[in-house]
Amino acid sequence: MAQPLSAATVRETAPSVHVALGTGQTPEEPTAGLVVLAASSLQDVLPAVARAWNASGGVPVRFGFDATSRLAPQILRGAPADVFISADDEWIRWLEERGGVDGASIRPVATNQLVFVVPNGSSDPPRDARSIGDAGFARIALAGENVPAGRYARAALESAGVWTTLVPTVIRGGSVRGTLEWVARAEADGGVVYRTDALTESRVSLAFAFEGEGFPAPAYTGAVTSRTEQPETAEAFLAFMSGTEAATLLAASGFGPAGPPATQRSTPLSDSSLARASSVSVNPWSAVRLSLIVALSAVLLGLVPAVATGWILARRDFFGKSFVSMIVMTPLVVPPVVTGFLLLSVLGRESALGGVLSAMGLPIPFTLLGATLAALVVGFPLYVMAIRAVFDTVDRRFEEVSWTLGVPKARTFRRISLPLALPGIAAGAVLAFARSLGEFGATVVLAGNMEGETRTIALAVYSLLESPTGRGATWLLVIASVILSLAALLGFEGLSRWQRRRMEDHHGR
Amino acid sequence: MDVEAMDARATTGASEGVGLHVQVRVPLDAIDLDVDWRPERHRVAILGPSGSGKSTLLRALAGLEPHAVGRVSFGGEVWLDSDSGISKPAWERNVGWVPQDALLFPHLSLRENLAYAGAGSADVESMAESLFLTDLLDRRPRFLSGGERQRVALGRALLSNPQLLLLDEPFSALDRPLRSEIAAMVRAFAQKNGTPIVLVSHDEHDAQLVAEERWVLVRGRLTADGASA
Repeated sequence: MAQPLSAATVRETAPSVHVALGTGQTPEEPTAGLVVLAASSLQDVLPAVARAWNASGGVPVRFGFDATSRLAPQILRGAPADVFISADDEWIRWLEERGGVDGASIRPVATNQLVFVVPNGSSDPPRDARSIGDAGFARIALAGENVPAGRYARAALESAGVWTTLVPTVIRGGSVRGTLEWVARAEADGGVVYRTDALTESRVSLAFAFEGEGFPAPAYTGAVTSRTEQPETAEAFLAFMSGTEAATLLAASGFGPAGPPATQRSTPLSDSSLARASSVSVNPWSAVRLSLIVALSAVLLGLVPAVATGWILARRDFFGKSFVSMIVMTPLVVPPVVTGFLLLSVLGRESALGGVLSAMGLPIPFTLLGATLAALVVGFPLYVMAIRAVFDTVDRRFEEVSWTLGVPKARTFRRISLPLALPGIAAGAVLAFARSLGEFGATVVLAGNMEGETRTIALAVYSLLESPTGRGATWLLVIASVILSLAALLGFEGLSRWQRRRMEDHHGR
Repeated sequence: MDVEAMDARATTGASEGVGLHVQVRVPLDAIDLDVDWRPERHRVAILGPSGSGKSTLLRALAGLEPHAVGRVSFGGEVWLDSDSGISKPAWERNVGWVPQDALLFPHLSLRENLAYAGAGSADVESMAESLFLTDLLDRRPRFLSGGERQRVALGRALLSNPQLLLLDEPFSALDRPLRSEIAAMVRAFAQKNGTPIVLVSHDEHDAQLVAEERWVLVRGRLTADGASA
């Protein structure tokens, strides 16, 4: 195990790196506590470590968990994190090369082990890596190509000489938890996951652990980010993580000690450790609250632009109208993740616009504002479509009558067009609201998945799916989101009927 | 009718110099309206089959046809002069346009429809009375018959104190006795306020009820009708 460094040592070895590398980020008021972004597989153990750290006088810690491969780019884009804990060394090095983390602060914090799991009740599971090829499996689940667990798995299978045989059967989950879920539901005949994750899932059986020297052992590496404002505290937290107290907690969850791991041995894993308790850093009520805040703000923020755009598209003819219409509708057809990426490119702290916004104290990425914006952009096409449709159905001769009665255009719009379009506008708002509630892809890319900040219902459910203990909370959120969505749909139906009745006043006589 | 027509002629004589001068072309898909028109009298009717361009002519006069070119003046005031780029917007022409299908504002009660141009409640009440609408004032348009709607549309236009009334088949949904009564009321309003009327209809009878002078519009061309009163 690496010897714990004291905070004092740290102060000497890594003096205020953030000043040297600091970009044009606004000096924010010193936040109370640390933000730690960490690999998903640490989701259950890190809160316990943080509690121990608090108990020994440490500042509060907030976590963001996601696949290492997603977190690392987020950090480079300006995620407000102080500490990053990667599930491998490569992503840390990748960040170091790009100035995302302080190289001097990099240190191993824990290790893990790859295991092969099969659904409970599988007959005659393989006993070692070489025999997987003979088991006649139709589908083998691995984590995503860029997710460390997925890379480790491939290296291990290659080292055992079975990779090429297995390639046709491989299905890739996003994260280890997703992979495990596939095996647990017997969607896959077997899968390669972390030992710590396998221990928490009672629906799978461990076939064997990968052993040998031919492939890198899964190792967690921590580093202090370059943009942290509190490098000393961040260093101290990392030091605590590789200290003895944390090591006990990590070991209790099945993690190995930090440092170059001893040769991995195929230890028989006892089922008794399944009974261990673990916590999940997902607060369902915070998710519901955030979802409502995000959806309502998106609807309010979008109201005037949506009415203006809908009206212009319905009532005006101008050069480039189809182009404008197309641009507005784009988020409806482009995958939300792509929309999120584009938004991040335009509004990220490294972009011109994002830099200005950030300097104005309105940083977009990884903030509630970012989540709202993502929801708005993705919901905007529906918003505009409903409003455009209602302005199409409002007979413009009502407006003409109003003009001849001496009421000019702007006042006619207010007294006639707007009230007549009101049900349609409300229907558009309800649609946009519902779409915002369901928004996931653009949000996770632009705003990340930060508990208490951007983790809305959809993101919380997604996170809980990666956690072994979140079933109750998952169902709570599933029920909440179904109720909210149905309420929105009922509202939409009611408003549509209102609109039809209104129009009958005129047409149906 | 005769007595009233003579009265009207007397009024017309007084305002001869400030009449309506129309020399306008409205190129549209369905019809191509091309008229050069100076009605002599105060209350005129334009007859013609449907699709001849009657409604389009009224709309052009009201300032609702953006494609209209030519020259329109009323009372010595230029409303349209496409050569010098003048086009007075509809809300400054102060015309009382009664469209064929009434177009009552569906989200407003009858009272609010009548008062839309800013009439006071006393005026609204008395107008409603003369149009036999008093009992309906607080209803929404959707609860009205076609004839009731037409009367509201008429009242709404009259209550805006127009300097010119443009009536598009204004009595088509009224039964005969009511038609005469409402027409008489409109005539009386016009005489009292010196308001000229252009009424378009495909119905000779409607024309007789209101107009002193009759024209015929056929395929976008306007000609004097020999049967003028």
